[in-house]
Amino acid sequence: MAKKKGCLGCSFPVAIVVVLVILAIGVVSLLSGAFGSSLFGDLGLPEWLSVSVPHPELPAATIFHIGSIPITNTMITAWITIIVLVAFFYFGTRNMKLIPGRYQMIIESVIGYILGLCQDIAGEKYGRKFFAIVATIFLFVITNAWISLIPGIGSIIVHTAEGEAELFRGVNTDINFPLALALVSFVFVEYWGIKTLGIKYFTKFLNTRKLTSSICKLFKGDIKGGLSGIFYGIIDIFIGLIELLSELMRIISFTFRLFGNMTGGEILMLMMVFLAPFLLAIPFYGLELLVGFIQALVFSSLTLVFANIAVNPAHAEE
Amino acid sequence: MDAEAMKMLAAGISMGFGAFGPGIGIGILGYGAVQAVARNPEARGQIFTNMIFAIALAEAVAIYALVVSIILLFVV
Repeated sequence: MAKKKGCLGCSFPVAIVVVLVILAIGVVSLLSGAFGSSLFGDLGLPEWLSVSVPHPELPAATIFHIGSIPITNTMITAWITIIVLVAFFYFGTRNMKLIPGRYQMIIESVIGYILGLCQDIAGEKYGRKFFAIVATIFLFVITNAWISLIPGIGSIIVHTAEGEAELFRGVNTDINFPLALALVSFVFVEYWGIKTLGIKYFTKFLNTRKLTSSICKLFKGDIKGGLSGIFYGIIDIFIGLIELLSELMRIISFTFRLFGNMTGGEILMLMMVFLAPFLLAIPFYGLELLVGFIQALVFSSLTLVFANIAVNPAHAEE
Repeated sequence: MDAEAMKMLAAGISMGFGAFGPGIGIGILGYGAVQAVARNPEARGQIFTNMIFAIALAEAVAIYALVVSIILLFVV
């Protein structure tokens, strides 16, 4: 018998089976989570179906020590991310052809997307120069975020010296990694500013031009222009100091944006799985995938935008 | 009031008040983006990308409040 067109293009019996499976999962998850146990009391569900109250821990647990350096579970996951990224790009670019096969096309589309982003925001020349670190930040953050979402990866538990701990935990939830990445981004922006503009880059922060020119005007006899120039010159110095402060605040805001999004997402997933295991996890899983991608995009794009501002200073006057 | 109760109250209030500003801000961003698309439907991709970018920046402020809440509950 030919397949009848049901809903969504699959045949009718298949659609009915899918709906029944989803309903069954929904009922089981509502019963076995916290909703069920508060509404119906103890139903005597098997061990593997009941979810215990989650205890999220903020600091990453130490798994073992190499010499005197503690290796945390987030560091192990970061190593896995590095291996995955290196293997992904190495095996795709081994026998590169002019007309790419499927694997090479995936890599080309990823690289093309990031290069397009760089050149859209920073122009042709600087876009190509900034591409290396922007692409590194983007790929590393997104792979870290998505590896922590692999089903079952958080369930591998080892026994350490302090007790039980997960073996793998996404490295974006450890406050040290976003801080390190924010410092790298800060140094990158300052390096490109100094490389392009020379030592004059620091006149953005210590803007004494107007003050000195107006003092010269005073000595030449132009009293009114000189005095108003001194007034505006002092304001310019304060504006420069506030610019310096906001450069340093960028480190903190980068750190907490990435850390807060990832840790908040992890705790949200834990709570949703506790409430209704399979049903509520689905929309929040989708949200977590999207948030991982968006945070990677925001981190790398902000680095790009600040580097662009550093090399092409926005000339207010002139 | 003992310290435990104060901690929980502070965590709730911090996230509660911290979500006012970003909520309104993201709403205004969405309003601007939808109006821009209505004026110029061809630029939909560009406008959407910029809107997502600005929403992530506005959301960061709510995330700072969330971090304060999390620290109050789990660290202090």
